[in-house]
Amino acid sequence: MKIQGIDDLKRIREDGRKKLLPPEGKIVVGMATCGLATGSGDVFSALCEEREKQGLKMIVGKTGCLGFCQVEPTVEVRTSQGERNIYQAMTPEKVASLVAELTSGNMPSKGLLGRITEDGQTEIGFYSKQNRLVSANCGLIDPEGIEEYIATGGYAALYSVISGMTPEQVIEEIRVSGLRGRGGGGFPTGRKWETTRQAPGEPRYVICNADEGDPGAYMDRSLLEGNPHSVLEGMIIGAYAIGSSEGYVYVRNEYPLAVKNVNIAVEQARGYGLLGRDIMGSGFDFDVKVVRGGGAFVCGEETALIASIEGKIGEPRPKYIFPAEKGLWDRPTNLNNVETWANVPLIIEKGADWYTKIGTKNSKGTKIFSLVGKINNTGLIEVPMGITLREIIFDIGGGIPNKRKFKAVQTGGPSGGCITEKHLDLPVDFDELTKVGSMMGSGGMIVMDDRTCMVDMARYFMGFLKEESCGKCVPCREGVVRIYEILSDICAGKGKPADIELLGELSAVIKKAALCGLGNTAPNPILSTIRYFQDEYEAHIKDKKCPAGVCKELTTFTINAEACTGCMLCAKHCPTEAIAGEKKKPHIIDQVKCIKCGVCFDSCKFNAVEIR
Amino acid sequence: MSNEKQKTGSVLVVGGGIGGMQAASDLSEAGFRVYLVEEGPAIGGRMSQLDKTFPTNDCAMCIMGPRLVEVGNSLNIKLLTNSEITRVEGYPGNFKVEVLRHPRYVNEERCTGCGTCTEACLTRNRPYFEAVEPPVRLDPKDEERVTGIINTYQAKKEYLLAILQDVQAEYNYLPEDVLRYIANRLNLPVSSAYSLATYYTAFSLTPKGRHIINICLGTACHVRGVDRIVERLERDLSISCGETTQDLAFTLEGVRCLGCCSLSPVMTINGKTYGNLTQDGASKIIERIWKEDQ
Repeated sequence: MKIQGIDDLKRIREDGRKKLLPPEGKIVVGMATCGLATGSGDVFSALCEEREKQGLKMIVGKTGCLGFCQVEPTVEVRTSQGERNIYQAMTPEKVASLVAELTSGNMPSKGLLGRITEDGQTEIGFYSKQNRLVSANCGLIDPEGIEEYIATGGYAALYSVISGMTPEQVIEEIRVSGLRGRGGGGFPTGRKWETTRQAPGEPRYVICNADEGDPGAYMDRSLLEGNPHSVLEGMIIGAYAIGSSEGYVYVRNEYPLAVKNVNIAVEQARGYGLLGRDIMGSGFDFDVKVVRGGGAFVCGEETALIASIEGKIGEPRPKYIFPAEKGLWDRPTNLNNVETWANVPLIIEKGADWYTKIGTKNSKGTKIFSLVGKINNTGLIEVPMGITLREIIFDIGGGIPNKRKFKAVQTGGPSGGCITEKHLDLPVDFDELTKVGSMMGSGGMIVMDDRTCMVDMARYFMGFLKEESCGKCVPCREGVVRIYEILSDICAGKGKPADIELLGELSAVIKKAALCGLGNTAPNPILSTIRYFQDEYEAHIKDKKCPAGVCKELTTFTINAEACTGCMLCAKHCPTEAIAGEKKKPHIIDQVKCIKCGVCFDSCKFNAVEIR
Repeated sequence: MSNEKQKTGSVLVVGGGIGGMQAASDLSEAGFRVYLVEEGPAIGGRMSQLDKTFPTNDCAMCIMGPRLVEVGNSLNIKLLTNSEITRVEGYPGNFKVEVLRHPRYVNEERCTGCGTCTEACLTRNRPYFEAVEPPVRLDPKDEERVTGIINTYQAKKEYLLAILQDVQAEYNYLPEDVLRYIANRLNLPVSSAYSLATYYTAFSLTPKGRHIINICLGTACHVRGVDRIVERLERDLSISCGETTQDLAFTLEGVRCLGCCSLSPVMTINGKTYGNLTQDGASKIIERIWKEDQ
């Protein structure tokens, strides 16, 4: 059936509501990649089996990711009124008793993480300070069912756009909303659209950048897996505004589930006439192709991504002329990030005025961050711009595990920097983060405790960029390698006193001379770690010590004879048989045989293994 | 033994481009007898086709001219144009090289380079064709598989990346003849297929193992100690990251972020994700798979 007008849309909305909130109630399992990794597939099949066996009326369904990855696999029991009971860390074994209680009409309390009421109120601490707008439907709807998306108000924005707005009005709405690109650059989306619309040349293209290469960020994956239609709707609205009839979604091949769900979404949208010729009977044509990436970080850069779609190697080109004027096949091309596209239907639906009330002066709306690393509650969080880092890390994230001390938080991926305790009360938005030498990036937040070595961190990022540099321009290709070598020397205890200065000099050159964003921002991790942790660099260089005990060449593992109980666990695990000792007597590590793998430290239950 | 140490005192330079000419004249100045072998009819190479050169915008002929003259005049340099090397034997210091000189049909001793013959030549405007690669033949089973993949993408050039991805998934690697075949079918030079295959990390030119371990080297995994786990797996499998075990059972590869940072450290084996790894835990998973295989 092709949707021709508002009546058709309303009819599907009613159908979808019945699927989303069936009168019998519904049990949904979070089956995004992180859920599947923790075994939600088994939980799902166990649920189906038990339901059959015990004769439960509730419907069993799938959904995307709720964001709270720490407590996966999650199962949600939804009443017909829409109250959501979230159960954490489910296993196939726990399923039988859950189903049994539900069959007898009770809401089980065992394993309950918390409730979300029908109007979105919750006592779950992880969600209390969040403002889930873009990710609201992730973990609620079935990503493989377009009807459920329509039931939550999906494609209504598209209808209002093509039935009553001119392209100029759409662009104006986006411009007034102050939406900025969520991929990292923070370029005003409305202005980008306007430039593309005005650029001469036909046809024009729109592209969704889902080549989420930033290590430590996975919100794009979650959105595509959990709610692909919101991205498609954003793209269709964008295409209408820009005057494009052809779009591409460029997804990483490392995200098989995202690729699958986007493809399903495209097929379903075509089936309902939301993609293809004559969308909703308006005479507007637009279709989308899904392209899989080849595994190159630099392809997240827009010109490299465009080259990759053209079937070439993903090398960026200098941007004398922006893709908005000459992009894909030398035609005007508008490229936005997944999260940016997903913001578009919201803005159209609720209005730019509503949107501008959220956030700070120059950064409007919300941003999804992936809160990972040494933190208690890891997961995806969506917070309004302007929230402080302290609120994110301690109120939402629940602080640092094992009572260790907070040291720094790394934002912006390999192009970003580290932010220290001093700046914890900084309001998080595009401009404030840049001021302290980091950047928003695509929204990775990697929390580090005092067992993280900052020199090693900088070395890690340089190692990453060394591998991912495409090799087209010399400053990046050669400079990053030289920096990596210097940092490796420092980590190996071969650092020289002048190294810090040399690093600064090299960084300045790369920053100025590199061709694309990858090179221009490559030195950021070093500059920011030198800025805030110069003492750690000096400890490596002068004292030949790694204060965090990470750099292998600078650390030794010893056993504290007083704390050791002689349980022999470490000796059992040691891969090189470097640990000797009798039962119930203190053990000793043979430093010659020790390869510093740290197994003894991890396996010791009495904290007797010390790192120096 | 004494024979082994004998040095001939002459040098063969292959290729008469700007580098070859410079090397030849430097060597002749140093007192060596030099044989300069060039495949084409004249020395000069690529530079003779250029107008100006980077970065100083010097005129190419002004750089090249003196070297042409030097090579031509030097009595120490024997110029062998229109020639190709067919065999090399010997050891450093005493090589024996067989050079095939193609006929020029002109007596070089007496030719003054006046150019009258080219004007009189009836076929001088015949275009010079690049050697055409003979079509690659695959055995029928392979041909069917590959053709199927190519046809799903309507044999369009811009889908080369997608085609290669599917071939990689089908074969676990990109066999050379298949790569040539695809380039042939899409009317592309092999080099463009090869450049994609070597640029993107998704591709491999050597066969991969039956079980592909992708271990995430993302930031969150790094912070939570994935390096030690990689070292452990490297020790267990006796290979380093990026290699395949000899029995083609396992390939260990590091990937830049699997996007499962909340479960770090993470790895996938044949697409199945394993999270919250420890050294021992990861090692046991591999062992279990290995035992199931036996």
